[in-house]
Amino acid sequence: MKTRLLVFIVLIATLVLSACQPAGGSISFMVFGDPAELAAYQKLVDSFSQAHPQIQVELIQVPGQSDYRKRLSADLTAGDPADVLLINYRRFAGFANIGALEPLGAYLEKSSLITEADLYPEAVNAFKWQGELTCMPQNMPSLVVYYNKDLFDSASVPYPAADWVWDDFLFAARALTKDVDHDGVTDQFGVGIEPSLIRLAPFIWQSNGVIVDDDSNPSTLTLDLPEDLIAAEFFVSLQTVHHVVPNADEEASEDSESRFINGRLAMFFNSRRGVPTYRESAVFDWDVAALPQKDVPAGILHADAYCLPSASKNKPDAWTFIEYANSAEGQTIIAASGRTVPSLISVANSPAFLDPNAKPANSRVFLDTIPTIHALPIHPNWAEIEESASEEIMRAFYGEASVDDAMLRAVQLSREIFFEK
Amino acid sequence: MTRLRPQVVALLTPYLLGAFLLIALPAGISFFISFTRFNGIDRPLFIGWQNFQLLRRDPLFWVAITNSILFITLAIPLRVLGALGLALLYSRPRRAVGFYRTAAYLPTIIPDTAYALTWLWILNPLYGPINDALRLLGLPAPAWLADSAWSLPALVFISLFQIGEGFVILLAGLRHIPAEVNDAARVDGAGRRQIFTSITMPLLSPWLVLLSVRDVALSFQSTFTPAFIMTRGGPYYSTFFTPLFIYESAFDGLRFGQAAAAMLMVFLATLLLVALVYFIFEGQGFDED
Repeated sequence: MKTRLLVFIVLIATLVLSACQPAGGSISFMVFGDPAELAAYQKLVDSFSQAHPQIQVELIQVPGQSDYRKRLSADLTAGDPADVLLINYRRFAGFANIGALEPLGAYLEKSSLITEADLYPEAVNAFKWQGELTCMPQNMPSLVVYYNKDLFDSASVPYPAADWVWDDFLFAARALTKDVDHDGVTDQFGVGIEPSLIRLAPFIWQSNGVIVDDDSNPSTLTLDLPEDLIAAEFFVSLQTVHHVVPNADEEASEDSESRFINGRLAMFFNSRRGVPTYRESAVFDWDVAALPQKDVPAGILHADAYCLPSASKNKPDAWTFIEYANSAEGQTIIAASGRTVPSLISVANSPAFLDPNAKPANSRVFLDTIPTIHALPIHPNWAEIEESASEEIMRAFYGEASVDDAMLRAVQLSREIFFEK
Repeated sequence: MTRLRPQVVALLTPYLLGAFLLIALPAGISFFISFTRFNGIDRPLFIGWQNFQLLRRDPLFWVAITNSILFITLAIPLRVLGALGLALLYSRPRRAVGFYRTAAYLPTIIPDTAYALTWLWILNPLYGPINDALRLLGLPAPAWLADSAWSLPALVFISLFQIGEGFVILLAGLRHIPAEVNDAARVDGAGRRQIFTSITMPLLSPWLVLLSVRDVALSFQSTFTPAFIMTRGGPYYSTFFTPLFIYESAFDGLRFGQAAAAMLMVFLATLLLVALVYFIFEGQGFDED
């Protein structure tokens, strides 16, 4: 009995002592992404630990972006967030607005490793809140079309050209949608695209449409404008009319990205984040192409950044990590994993990103399309507005509502969220 | 009043302390927060009834309330009937009854997340075993969780297999009925149906009330895990229940005040439903005396 008591006391004492250890010299770094992406961040952390052995870094992963945001909210509310956070530009404003993020402009000015001019201005501007640089942009990705070259070859469909248009895209999509065994069930789909606002948006811009009434001070979505409706009709018709995209049942049974990785879907719309997984899992030849265009060339920004929460208990070390991660050395590590389109212009144009031997061979497409990239508005409630609108888009996409009704409803709901909440 | 023995006090203290710290205190704080604007970081700002007014105008809140009430209305009678059926079936000693009782109880102890993930596969519209079987029989195979008309009924269906606790409670209830009462009825010439309607059911009704009340309170909360894991509230809000609304408001929108107000409304709705259950069962209970 005495021995047990002794063991118990020792255990408690160990726990108490370990909890009381000084926090200095250790930071935590929270990221989202799948296992292949996590491996890339682990490499970055390992390299940082070699360069700065006095700072311990704990890597925390939350797979999905939506869950990540909720975990972050809970951590911030508890006053105990990770010291370095990865946040998308569509979501940082909600946290910046309540003072949860430490502005990083002053830190950057003092840096001897990087300057603002080293970074793509499109990425920098996406992380400015009320004129102040709030987070350090880690990447500069945009939406592209990943395509299975083997499926294109076997269907004798030419690969997407740099200047392909909606009609070319639809032609390829139809030619690549097949019922191989003629049992009435589509075995191979031409396209996989998430029915969401972020996927629809570039189609709208290409049609000369706009997403919101005022980019700098938005008060409503404008998806019910005639130009927007043309884009939405085309987008939705991919599923409802042309059936080149899996329907709701098929998507629920096996999502489009899995179908693409398994070689049963020819063209998949995604940002750069899919690359580490496709490199690891896709056993066919694949590459990337620019988005098909219409009236005006347009793409959409998907940038993420390293942010420093105001509640961090170790800001100097956290900044040291952010600075290293965004230095040429740090960005080269992540770029080589395939995860990012580097926000540092020099690394983006280096072999670390443009390596012709690493898939996708046509990585340059991410850089070539930068001049036509659009960003979604920066607004504290944007994440909710996007989710609400995406529900309506999904309803139209799966044939449960007309495009006009769904877009009108999305606009009406957005007004509530922009203002009242 | 009898004095509590020190041992009893010592044994109860951790639970009372836990109940106070983890339930009563947070509930009290939530009550206070529901009258404030609170983003989790700044100080809560008192705004009176504004959160409740916002909720009244929020269509999603009403969707969540309607879905939750629909779920409860469909699930609870079926769950209580299911538990009653199982208890009646396995109340008497017979061969391998222990095995059957264990089998009936087993789904209840599967962790909610694992249970939801298992059903996600079972209900897969194209590759799931249920739809495979339906197609084999030449029957239409619904898209279940991918179809807004079927998703809520599908979640109700899933909940019908986790009735182990109700089953055990009713098994205890059946054992509580004295054998002499049944014997006397039989001697008086009562048939099985008559014994069930005139003896078993009336004597079991307090247990059924207990079970229903417990299920009402639980069902308002237990929809979170299946909806969160399997449908994320969709398709098109068809499985968007109050716990998900509260969770999204607080941790997505950083509107803790509004989330707390919604929680208070759910608490009141639970009280109302519990009162309704008591009202329905009124007069059907039995008096120990």
